[in-house]
Amino acid sequence: MTFQFLSPKSSSYTNKVDVDGDIDMLLKTERENFETQVVTPGEIITSDTQYMRGHGTFTTEKNQRLSSVAGVVEHVNKLISVRSLHARYTGDIGDLVIGRITEVSQRRWKVDINSRQDAVLLLSAINLPGGIQRRKTEADELQMRKFFSEGDLLVAEVQGTFQDGSSSLHTRNSKYGKLRNGSFVIVPQALVQRCKTHFHTLPCGVDLTLGLNGYIWVSKHTTQTAEELEIYSNENEEIDQENRESIARVCNSISVLSRHFMCINDKMIMLAYEASLNFLVKDLLKLDVMEVIISEVSEKMTLLKAGVRR
Amino acid sequence: MPPTLISPSENDYIIRGVDSNIRADGRGRLDYRQVILETGLITQASGSARCRLGEGTDVLVGVKVEFGAVELDGADEDVAEIKAKRGRVICNVECSPIASQQFAGRGADDFNNELTQMLDRVLNGPQSGLNLEKLCIIPGQHCWIVYIDAIVLDYAGNILDTIFMTTRAALYSTRIPKTIIQERGDGEIEFDILDDVEECERIEGWDKVPVAITLNKIGSRHIVDATPLEELTTEAKLLVTVNKDGKVCGLQKSGGGSIEPSLLIDMVQTGRSLGQSLIQSLDEMLQREENDINLKRAQKERKLGFFAAT
Repeated sequence: MTFQFLSPKSSSYTNKVDVDGDIDMLLKTERENFETQVVTPGEIITSDTQYMRGHGTFTTEKNQRLSSVAGVVEHVNKLISVRSLHARYTGDIGDLVIGRITEVSQRRWKVDINSRQDAVLLLSAINLPGGIQRRKTEADELQMRKFFSEGDLLVAEVQGTFQDGSSSLHTRNSKYGKLRNGSFVIVPQALVQRCKTHFHTLPCGVDLTLGLNGYIWVSKHTTQTAEELEIYSNENEEIDQENRESIARVCNSISVLSRHFMCINDKMIMLAYEASLNFLVKDLLKLDVMEVIISEVSEKMTLLKAGVRR
Repeated sequence: MPPTLISPSENDYIIRGVDSNIRADGRGRLDYRQVILETGLITQASGSARCRLGEGTDVLVGVKVEFGAVELDGADEDVAEIKAKRGRVICNVECSPIASQQFAGRGADDFNNELTQMLDRVLNGPQSGLNLEKLCIIPGQHCWIVYIDAIVLDYAGNILDTIFMTTRAALYSTRIPKTIIQERGDGEIEFDILDDVEECERIEGWDKVPVAITLNKIGSRHIVDATPLEELTTEAKLLVTVNKDGKVCGLQKSGGGSIEPSLLIDMVQTGRSLGQSLIQSLDEMLQREENDINLKRAQKERKLGFFAAT
C-alpha cells in the first residue's frame, strides 16, 4: 500500500524513439503513403477545389476544405470526409455489439450501446430458453425481467437501423445473449476493427467478445454448449485465482492499447498480453510500464507490417 | 462514459474478486492508483492544483483569497465573539456534466451538495488545522475569506479522496498577501494590502489539513480507490479523514448497507494508516515540485534587453 505521485509529462509522440533510442528514419514522403492523416478541428485538409466535402468537413471562402472534428481523413474517390475519433457509435446492419439494458418497457428493452440513442431489443427478437420456437405470448411479456432486467449486459447483433439513427437489435443465435463470468472494458469505438469474427478464445484461457461499439467483454473460457447452459441465468461459474488474474491481465492490456490509441483486435491484444507478462498485473496501470508495453507492441507491429509489404 | 447500472453477474464477479484479493483490474484490496499532480496552474488564483487518478478521475481545485467582512451573527454572544475574530473558508464543489452521464442536466445537483457539505464540514472547524484567527485582519471588521472551488473534470471513481488531496495541494500552493495595519488617531484602524509577489505568506496550518480515504465495503471486506463499477457494487462507504499526525478528523458513512462494529474499527484503522502515508507521499511530491520550480527560477535569472545593459 504505497502511494505514487507523478508530475504531468508530455508524451513523446513527435519524434518516435524506440527502446534503444533509435529514431525512425523513414522518409517523410515514404511514410505518407501508408500513414493515415490525422486532423484537428479547423485544420486545412486540402486546398484543391476538385474534392467534394463529406461528413466532418466544411469549406471557407477561399474554397479550402477544413476539418470540423478531430479524427482521421478518409477518401472515397473525390469525396473527403473526416471520421471523428471520439464519436459515438452508429449502428450498421450485421454489426456485433455489446449493450446494457437501461429500461424494460412494452414488448421491448432499451439497450445502451454507446450510441446517440438507446437501441431497442424487441421481445420477438430474442430466443426463448430451451430453444423453443413459438410466438411470444402475453405470459412472456409479463416475465420479461426474467430474460433481461435493468443493468444486464448482453451481446447482440444490429438487425436494422431507423431514420433517426437508433437501431434495433436481435439475439436470435446461440452465440448471443447474456454475458457472465467476466469483466467489462470500455474503449473508444473507433479503435475496434471490423473482423471476420468478434468472438475469440485467447491461448491464455480467456474468452473475448469485441463489440463494435467499443464495449468489450473479457470472460473465463467456457466449454459448456448453449443447450446445457441456462441462457438467461445470472449465476457465475467458479473462477479460480489464476483465471481471475489472466482476465485482469487481458483487461489491462486492452486499456493500455486504448489509452495509447492503438487499434484493438485479437492479434494486438495478444501482442500486448505477451509484452505484459514481464510485469505484475496491477503494475500494468502504471504509466511507465504502459509505455514500455506500447513501444514493444508497436515494434512488433512494424516488423509484421514490413513482412507483409515485402 | 462510466456505466450507471451494473448486472448481477458483474456484481458477483466483483464481490468474489474482492474476497480473493484480485480486483477486476488486478489490484489488491488496498492498492491505490497512480496520481498525477500539478500545482499552480491557474495564474489568477491564489493557489491551485490538479490531480488525475490513474488518468481517470480528474479534479481541479482553485483557491482564491479575498478580503471581506467578518461574520457577525452567531447563536449567542460567545459564538459571535469568536466568529468576529476569525477568517472564513467557503467551499464549493461542482461536477462537470462532461465527466459522466449521471452528472448531466440536474443529475449532479444533489451530488454537488453532498461533496460541498463534506469538504465544508472538514475544512471549517478546528479539525481542519487551518489557523482561522490568523486570517483575521481587523477583529470585528475585516478578514480574509478563503474560497475553495473544486471542479470534477472527469470521473473514474473515488472522487472524494481526489478532491481532498487536491485541496491540500492547492492550499499548499496558496499565498496570502501581507497586510499592514495602521492605527489612526481617532481610534479608526486602516489596513493596506501589499501587492508585492515576494511578500506573500502561506496559509498557516496548511500542513495540518486532513486528507480523506474512502473505504468501500464490498461483501464482507473493504477496498480503497474504487472504480465506477466497484462503487456500484459497494454496500456501504466510510469516509475517514486523517491529518498528518494520524488523528481522525472526521468520519462519514454513506450508502444503504450496514457495517459490523468489528469491521468498522478495522476500516477506521486502515483509513488512518493509509491516510498518513498518503499525506507523506503527497508532501514529498509537493516539496519535489517546489524544488524544481525554484531551480528553474534560479537558472532563468538572466536579464534581457535594456535591463541587461546596467
